[in-house]
Amino acid sequence: MQMARMLTPHTYAPSRTLRRFCVVVFAISFGVQAHAQDWVHIESSNGVDRIRIAAAGFKPLSSDPATTGYKHLFDLTLYSDLNSAGIFDLVSQSLAPMSEPGTPAEMAVAQWSAAPASAAMVAFGSLNVIGGNIVVDGWLYDTHNTVDPKVLGQQYSEPASDESTRHIAHEFADEIILRLGGGLPGIAETHIFYVNEQGGNKEIWEMDYDGQEQHQITRLGTITLSPRISPDGNRLAFASLGHDGWNIRVFSMLLGRMVSFPAIGGTNLSPAWSSDGRQIAFSSSRSGDPEIYIGDEAGNNLRRITAYVGPDVSPVWNPRTNSQLAWISGRTGLPQLYIMDSDGTNVQRMTDGGYATSPSWSPNGQFIAFAWDRKYGPGVPGGQDIYVMEVATRKWIQLTHDTGRCDFPSWSPDGRHIVFESGSGKSSDIWTMLADGTGRHKLTTNGTGTMPNWSWR
Amino acid sequence: MATRIHIAASPNTGSTNLAGSFFLHVLFAGSIVLFAWMHHALGNTWGDTTQTTGAIQASMVDAIPLPATAPPTDNVLATDNPSQNPAPLTPATVAKPRPNEILIQNKVKQPTKIAERATPSILHPQSVAPSNRIPAGEAPGLQIAVSTVQLATGTSSMSVPASDFGARYAYYVNGINHTVSNNWWQQEADPRASNGHSVTLLFDVLRDGTPTNVRVEKASGSISLDLSARHALQRVEGFGPLPDTYRGDRITVEYTFDYQLH
Repeated sequence: MQMARMLTPHTYAPSRTLRRFCVVVFAISFGVQAHAQDWVHIESSNGVDRIRIAAAGFKPLSSDPATTGYKHLFDLTLYSDLNSAGIFDLVSQSLAPMSEPGTPAEMAVAQWSAAPASAAMVAFGSLNVIGGNIVVDGWLYDTHNTVDPKVLGQQYSEPASDESTRHIAHEFADEIILRLGGGLPGIAETHIFYVNEQGGNKEIWEMDYDGQEQHQITRLGTITLSPRISPDGNRLAFASLGHDGWNIRVFSMLLGRMVSFPAIGGTNLSPAWSSDGRQIAFSSSRSGDPEIYIGDEAGNNLRRITAYVGPDVSPVWNPRTNSQLAWISGRTGLPQLYIMDSDGTNVQRMTDGGYATSPSWSPNGQFIAFAWDRKYGPGVPGGQDIYVMEVATRKWIQLTHDTGRCDFPSWSPDGRHIVFESGSGKSSDIWTMLADGTGRHKLTTNGTGTMPNWSWR
Repeated sequence: MATRIHIAASPNTGSTNLAGSFFLHVLFAGSIVLFAWMHHALGNTWGDTTQTTGAIQASMVDAIPLPATAPPTDNVLATDNPSQNPAPLTPATVAKPRPNEILIQNKVKQPTKIAERATPSILHPQSVAPSNRIPAGEAPGLQIAVSTVQLATGTSSMSVPASDFGARYAYYVNGINHTVSNNWWQQEADPRASNGHSVTLLFDVLRDGTPTNVRVEKASGSISLDLSARHALQRVEGFGPLPDTYRGDRITVEYTFDYQLH
């Protein structure tokens, strides 16, 4: 009996322990799930109201089908540019008056300032094809200023084509954004470079900021990664796999061919231009361990600025000062985001855990966007999303939620937009969004776009 | 030539097997005895009666000092297993005064005098007649001379003194306000010293939109707040070109940074 009594606790112990273990595991898993659903919301607009603007349809001055076609393309592009600028409250086309004023004389301002349009600004103009050239007259009027409503008046003329029609619309939109956006130039004329996979090879492609005009840049027949356009837009640096391993290579946009860049041995990845275009930082494993190196624009005068066990990769410059770099280091285990001065001193760790990759420093130097899997580990809920951290305070916000694996953020030159890669499995596409995570839309659709990089202007 | 191999059975196989078995048994028994002796002599001695000289020593005693059992009580709620609660306190008996006793009054103590204090005047909220004036900065639309932006900590407001620039080009004034307020990093100001203070800066905007000649018109008293306001202007590269129809070569802007913690 005593033996039985003694044995009883032992025979019960595993099941009770198992039950307790299960309870703890469930509690932890539910706790983690509940925590993973926490959303941090920060208003980035500072409470500043957006300007309500209307884009009237441009008036075609001839009735031939070509002009009508250009007019529709122009209207569509201008509307899209103003809508995605991030600083306007655009009057819906269903609320705008039906009229298409082609000249200031035809413009009835009161019609646009009254409800339901209630526009504070209205863009209008005319479009014509004269002698093979498309001629566009565009105006921007302040509807509240009855004395002198004209804010902007421009005329454009280019050889008629779909491409030039889009280009004129981009130029006009950028003029409007420059006038009304507090001095920050628009991004409608900027480009996005990205990696596109075709037939087992990965080549660098280029497209307009809105996803139009996608075309191939490099034809190396190999795998190329991490394209980075120089600040002047003349040189494109990237990492490419050749017969001597991974090396930094440079493509001249002016010459349309590769230009020399020294191969220093080891695996060399993720080049980054300083904003003055005079220095280039990249990671190299020539010494065995991936470390950050800085050289001049031609790849000479290399100096190593990290010396710590563990990989140091993905450097980016602070474009405001060029005196700091952010990069990803695995010196404490999982890769984390760090910043340091450009001489390798003053190292600061920015992320407190998880799995951080692909930093991109905002043009005004205030923020770093990066991809972060905050709950990295087997069986842990959560995924890789785009985050933005304020460098001075290390406060961060999460920009993407539940949209699959997001990576490779890159800031637009106006600091209002971020382009990034999002996908699942082997498929990935390029997306843009405003820097507060709203206004997200897809730029590529074939599932092969990756590693986008926004041009500097 | 053939080779023949002959294998013959040994005649005394049975006796050899018996001897070998006996030898193995003796060897086995001997090894057990040897192991027991070695274990006794060299192994640990747990459980035997020998005195140990280690740091910890246990010795057998006749009795263990168990807690004494509680005596039975008359309490009907008592059980065989009395609780550890203390017994209820018996009320102290107070002797009744005898009928012939006379109570002696205590000596009356004069209250100490306290100097009178002035009654604090209470400020009652006064009702203010609603004004029909539209407050600057809250008017709808853009046709305003003064532009105010509500920020996370406080507000920033600006005006363009002199001329009717603000009225004619309200969109440009608003653009300046957006840009400066976006570049004002309020965390640079010390919250304790800056709360409730405001600093007013004056600066010029050139024809190409570049801010220049930044000077403090009215300091806040908080050095960090003044510096944060100056830094905001330093971060701005430009506000965009002045309106085409504006004839002047520059405008002067008065900008107030108001720090209020909510």
